[in-house]
Order: sequence, then structure tokens, then C-alpha cells
Amino acid sequence: MRVTSPAENKAAGSGTLFDGMGLRYLVLVGLILIASIGFSIANENFYSLTNIGILLRSVSVLFLLSMGMTFIMLTGGIDLSVGSNVAFSGGVGVLTLLTTGSPVLGFLACVLGGMAIGLLNGVFIGYLKLSAFMVTLATFALARGLALVLYDATPINVENPVFLWLGATSIGNFPIVVPFVALVFVVLSVILYRTTFGRDVYAAGSNFNTSYVLGRSPDRTLVLVYVLTGALAGLSAIITIGRVSSGQPWAGLYLEFDAITAVILGGTSLFGGRGKLLGTILGVLLYGIIINGLILTGTNPFLQSLIKGMILLGVVLLDTWTQRRSAQ
Amino acid sequence: MGNRKKKLTSTAVAALLGMTATTASALDIVFINDGHVAPYHVAWLGGFEDAIEAYNKEFGNVTGRWLSAEGSLEKMIQQAEATINEKPDVMFVNAISPDAFEPLVAKAQADGITWIAVHSPMESADYSFTLGDVVNGRNQGLAICALSGGEPYKIGIMLGQAGNPSGDARHAGILEGLEACDNVEVVAEQPADWDTIKAQSITENWLTQFPDLNAISGVTDGYMYPAIAIAQNSGRELDFYGYDGDIPIMSQMEGGSVKADILLSGTREGWNFVQMAYRISQGETPDKVYDFFTPLVMSEANHEIALANGFPADIEVYYVDKAMEVAEKGFLEFGPDSVK
Repeated sequence: MRVTSPAENKAAGSGTLFDGMGLRYLVLVGLILIASIGFSIANENFYSLTNIGILLRSVSVLFLLSMGMTFIMLTGGIDLSVGSNVAFSGGVGVLTLLTTGSPVLGFLACVLGGMAIGLLNGVFIGYLKLSAFMVTLATFALARGLALVLYDATPINVENPVFLWLGATSIGNFPIVVPFVALVFVVLSVILYRTTFGRDVYAAGSNFNTSYVLGRSPDRTLVLVYVLTGALAGLSAIITIGRVSSGQPWAGLYLEFDAITAVILGGTSLFGGRGKLLGTILGVLLYGIIINGLILTGTNPFLQSLIKGMILLGVVLLDTWTQRRSAQ
Repeated sequence: MGNRKKKLTSTAVAALLGMTATTASALDIVFINDGHVAPYHVAWLGGFEDAIEAYNKEFGNVTGRWLSAEGSLEKMIQQAEATINEKPDVMFVNAISPDAFEPLVAKAQADGITWIAVHSPMESADYSFTLGDVVNGRNQGLAICALSGGEPYKIGIMLGQAGNPSGDARHAGILEGLEACDNVEVVAEQPADWDTIKAQSITENWLTQFPDLNAISGVTDGYMYPAIAIAQNSGRELDFYGYDGDIPIMSQMEGGSVKADILLSGTREGWNFVQMAYRISQGETPDKVYDFFTPLVMSEANHEIALANGFPADIEVYYVDKAMEVAEKGFLEFGPDSVK
């Protein structure tokens, strides 16, 4: 087993907000600019304040899930259950709200429900050393099944204004969920770059066994990372419920794949130990702009899948090429 | 097929050149659907595109486009929000969950957009385009009773996605129709989530689990393709009762194992959308809940057997040839000539 040195870790993109990933971010910013300009030429509404508000609101949930997915992928793991967890934790929250009438308890139940699925994932992956792919594939089905049972497969209308506030409120065209997501980004950045836990996340992904040798506890780190992602799924559920004024048993379907795509676009390695939250933010923005622009330009959905696939493939190829170049 | 390729190519070129696909027009129609890959969806969207082209050719200034949410509620919400910002004249929305779209209906209406809820009715929508799913399901159930021959008859029913209003209504209708006879036993019910692959594995399981199974009923013809193939490959002679009016399924009715179907036809429905939008743009006001005409389809021979076994004579039945013709040629019922 190879042990990476601090210098190598730095080159690979750990330690601070930006280092080691500069070229990647420049490429992403360039792609965002090109896509924005192209779509604004194609449709003058693209740069309208209303559309920017729509775009930011629509990617807010993806931002949260992708940030959680970044933590997980930094450890070398993956979480296929986050989308289902949005539905499950939302169901727990809505039923708590309806039972108690308390939006605060409803919020708490959402977050705790999400964390429960995260804890289940974490224990199986961290302590029992099972494959993250297999465990979260199982909880992908389990959480969706629980959501269907909780909801009896039927959406539940939510009218409590406090509970709906975060996902539904806008000041003019500006959704208030945007500063909330920005705040979560700042908090998670501090956790990842300024705490021992953050360093443990990178260490678990760079070299799991060496973390033991150094006296760390990477298994516990894995548990905490999955619990954190579960909490973010719970927050996503609160936003989703606010957005659609109802609890939905099919909420979050396939969102895990969008989150994984955005994280990979942002430069986080599938093999762990390398990546940044900033890259994920740029990846989500690029992904959201492409989706929004393709809708506005009326591009045929058969082509939309093709274009999304080509962009992802292009970025992965670019990623491989830049890594090989820096290795030389 | 060539026509579709040409359309895809021109859209790709337009996208690459940064050209907008939408222009100012007298009637701009957007259809947001929950998917675009099932055979019914492909026919539906194709019918919609062909109808837009025909109406534009006949009357001018008619444009339209369709979007697919690929099964994701979040994507559909995003598409609806972005579309409202574009201010088309009419939006057809086949909502994955109608309740989730209530806030957007109000927003669209405030912007002067006519919102037409597709399949699942919405009180707040300007119009609801519905299929009469309960009635259709009941007709299918009655057909099963009448064609089961009076002997003990075991049947499995493949359902839609759990909680989907349209699938639930069809299911409820089938069970209601089956109450007319006591020889038919429903031995299995299983949601296949509108997914042909899941339908395949469900059929395999049922054939193993129920060696004396007589028939399979489904809430979509999408399930019939794998079910028929698997039964044939395993040498089992089963009866099939479909729902959708897919041409390849109806073509197996004359002397074949498919006993009855419900004639929706995606192609017809796509054409009817454009006709309905055009009528609204001309100042007509259709019924708030507009029922798409969806007759039962049987072969003439089976219809006679069914009638002899007590099948109600007042239920409108199309025979296979007529059903196939209108299923394929949506313009016969809903083309520009129908609104002149």
C-alpha cells in the first residue's frame, strides 16, 4: 500500500480551498461562461432575473446532495440512496408535522430521518466493511420502500406556512433558499478544510489503512460522513416539500445520479482523496445551466441525453488527461 | 422514422448554432411529459409533433415542443417553471404528482397560460384531459369475464407505479368489472412501474409460481410485449388483456392470444392535444374535464362470443381493422379538417 506524502496530498487537491485544482476550475468556469453565453444568444430569457431565480432554486437541492456526495466520494465511497432518502426523510417530517402540528419538530424529524438512513449506511460501510455501492444500492430500495409505506404511496398536502417557508419563499425573483445553501456551503467548507474531521475525510480516501497507523479512526469517519450526507438529504426534503407544497413519495428519484455527475464534473476523484467543495459547486452550476438552457432552447429530449453524456465524457477525458500530464 | 431523424438533426443544428427553437407565434403549445422512451410515449410525442406540423401547414403560426422529465418530479418542476417563464399559450402537463404542481398552475394562469392537466384531473387547471380510466378498466374487466368461458379462470394483473392516479384508476376499474363474474380469480397483482423490464421478470415469476395461470391483464400495453413473448417462448397458452391500443399489440388480436385492448393510441392522443389547443385558441371552450374517446377493442369473433356471454351491448367496441387505422392515423379524427 502506497502512503501519500503531505506534498502529494497538496498537489492532489487537499488542504485548502483551491490548491491543486486551479486548471480544473478554470476549465469549469470557462465552460459555464460558454454555455451561458450560448444559451443567452439562443434565448433572450436565459439571463432574465426570473430565469436565474428558477435556475438557482432548481439546483438548490442538488447543491446540498452534491456537497454530501463530495464528502463521501472523498472517502472513496458512493451513496446511491440519497435520492430515496429525500423521499423517506420528507415522509418522516410531514407525518411528524401532521401528528404534532409543530413545524420545528417536523424539521427535526426530517433531518433525523435522513441521518438514520445515513447511520445505517455508515455502520455497514464503516464498521462492517461492506461495499459502499452494495450497501447504498440496498438502502436506495429500502428508503424508497419506507417512503411509499409512510405515505401509503399517496402525496400529502402541506399547508403549514412555516414548514413551507424555506422552499417556497422568494424576495422578488430571488429564492431565499439560495443564501441558505450558501451558508451550508460555508459551514461544510470550514468542516472540511479547518477541522481534524475534514483531514480525516481526505485521509480515509487517500489511504484508509495508513489512517489507522497514524492513530486515526477512518471507520468512524466513514460513519460520520454518511450521517452528514443523510442530514443534507433531510434538509433537501424540507426544501422540496416547500417547493411543491406537499410531501411526495417519489421525490428525489434519480437525484443521486445527478449528484454523482455534478461531483465528478467538479473534479472529485471517484477513487477518493482528491476534490473540493468549490469544484462541486461549479459542477452543479454547469449541470444546472446546461439543463436549464436545453429546456429554454426547446432542444429535443433525445438530444438532451446525448449532449449531457457527451459533456460528462468530455470532462472525464479532460480530467484523465490533466492528471496524466501533471504526473509526468 | 426518417422524418424523426430529420427533426432531430435540425434541432441539433439549431442548438449548436445557438438558434432558438421557439419563435413568436399565434399559438405556441408545450407538452411536458413524464417520459419519452416507452412505446406509448414515442407514439404520443410523434403524434404531437406531426400534428403541430400539420396545423402549422394548414393555418400558419402554430408551434410546439415537448419535454420529458424522465420520471423525475424535480426535473418536471424545473421544466414547468422554465416553460412558464417562456409564456407559451397552452401547456399540457402529464404531472408525475398533480398535487406538486398546484403552485405552478396558479403562476401559469397569472401569466395568461392555459394549463391542461393530462390524465390526472386537477381542479385548479383550466382543463383536464382525461382517459376515463375507471370506465376503461371496468370495460376490460367485463371483457375478461365474458371471454373467460365460465370455467375457473386465474389471472394476474400488472399494475402501474404505486400511487400513480391513472394506474390506480385503471386497476380499480378492472376489479370493478371483474365483480360481474365469480369464475375469475385474481391470483396475483404486482406493480411493474410502467417498466417493460420489470414486466418481463414479473411474467417469468408468475409462470413459475402459477402453472395453471390463464391470463395476464395489464394497465399498459408496454407490459404485454414481454409477457406475450415469454409465454410463447415457454410454450404456455395464455390470454392477454391490454390497455393503450399499441398497434403491435392490437395486430395480435385476430385469432391470437390478445383478447381485448383499450384504444388510447399515443398517436391519436398527440393529435387530439393539438386539436384541443387550436380549438381553445379559436375561442372555443371544451368541457373542463375533457374525456378522450377510448373505445374497447376486440376482434369481431370475440365480440360475438362476449355478447353471447352477457357482455353489455351498449359498450362501444371497435373491431381490430378500424382500431388500427385510427390508432395509426391520428389526423382522421383530430387533424386540421376536424376543426374547419
